[in-house]
Amino acid sequence: MRLVRGLGIGALAMGLAAPFTGNPSRSQQRGLDLDSIARAIDEGTDHVSARQLAEWIRDRRPGLRVIDVRSPAEFHGDVIPTAENVPIDQLARSRFAPDQTVVLYSQEGAHAGQAWVMLRSLGVTQAVFVPGGLADWREEVLSPLLPVNGSPAERARIAALSHYFGGSPRIGGEQEGEVAGAAQTGRNLRRRGC
Amino acid sequence: MNDLLIAGGIGVAFGWALECAGLGDPPKLAGQFYLRDFTVLKVMLSAMLTAMLGVFWGGRFGMLDPGALYVPETYLLPQLVGGLVFGLGFVLSGLCPGTSCVALASGRVEGAATMLGLFAGVLLVGLAFPVIAPFYRATPHGPLTLQRLTGLPYGVVVALVTVIAVSMLAWIAKREAAR
Repeated sequence: MRLVRGLGIGALAMGLAAPFTGNPSRSQQRGLDLDSIARAIDEGTDHVSARQLAEWIRDRRPGLRVIDVRSPAEFHGDVIPTAENVPIDQLARSRFAPDQTVVLYSQEGAHAGQAWVMLRSLGVTQAVFVPGGLADWREEVLSPLLPVNGSPAERARIAALSHYFGGSPRIGGEQEGEVAGAAQTGRNLRRRGC
Repeated sequence: MNDLLIAGGIGVAFGWALECAGLGDPPKLAGQFYLRDFTVLKVMLSAMLTAMLGVFWGGRFGMLDPGALYVPETYLLPQLVGGLVFGLGFVLSGLCPGTSCVALASGRVEGAATMLGLFAGVLLVGLAFPVIAPFYRATPHGPLTLQRLTGLPYGVVVALVTVIAVSMLAWIAKREAAR
């Protein structure tokens, strides 16, 4: 009983001392760290290719969070598998754990790039975006062009990744038949806004 | 891998603490709802106090960064409904998700039944998610903390919660001593 009372008094003392010690949080400064942003852009650590993202999703990379920054209305159509919808206007209110890799994408990439800067200003440094957005996803993952002079292993790797996501790769540029088949899948490959 | 080991260690300690507190016992848990047994409240309040003071003072002495901790987002309406469903299940089965693991580990068949129901429920919600998604995302408020809600400084909120929790614990102790 004495121990319990001691613990209670200790907790009370620590709690009552709390208002007089200032703010304990270190990551309170909200603002743009322009140097680190410039460095990330310069080194290319600000973005990730659609194909790399596809590999991360397939390999179930721990802590991966794919964020679709389009409006909920647009989110109903084509989406990257495992993506969650966080529209731009709600992004500032979201929290991201430090060990998560946040991948942003939008229709064509401009909004995702802007969202990336927003997250940087909020202190989220572990975010990247897909430069070409969904358009890149369709071109590089769903119906990728298999390089004619690429090695068989490389072509098989790209094709396997595409098949994993239900896509169908195109071969080279010459074979008309293959391209016609791909045109079918690529029909809704129109770029609209961002 | 290291993270997994740490998580495993914390899990063992957590389960051990819950079992020691007697929270693997359904009648004991249900007793809280009928105000017969205050074990649940005592465990919850002391855990909250320890965690809150630990995070605050740990941050103050530079051992961790409270700002980097993940705060789950508030979706008022779905969480109210979810809380209601959860409470109903809690009082009916006498176990919550964590304590059902503890109950199962200590060989209680109630634990197995609750966990089976738990997984079935999660599966059902997962399958029905496209239908309930609009409700799931309704009334979003972002990560809502007491200091954001009240506009008070972090330290003042810590002091207020401490005073409330310690007075409740003292009241429970007095009540139990009187019996």
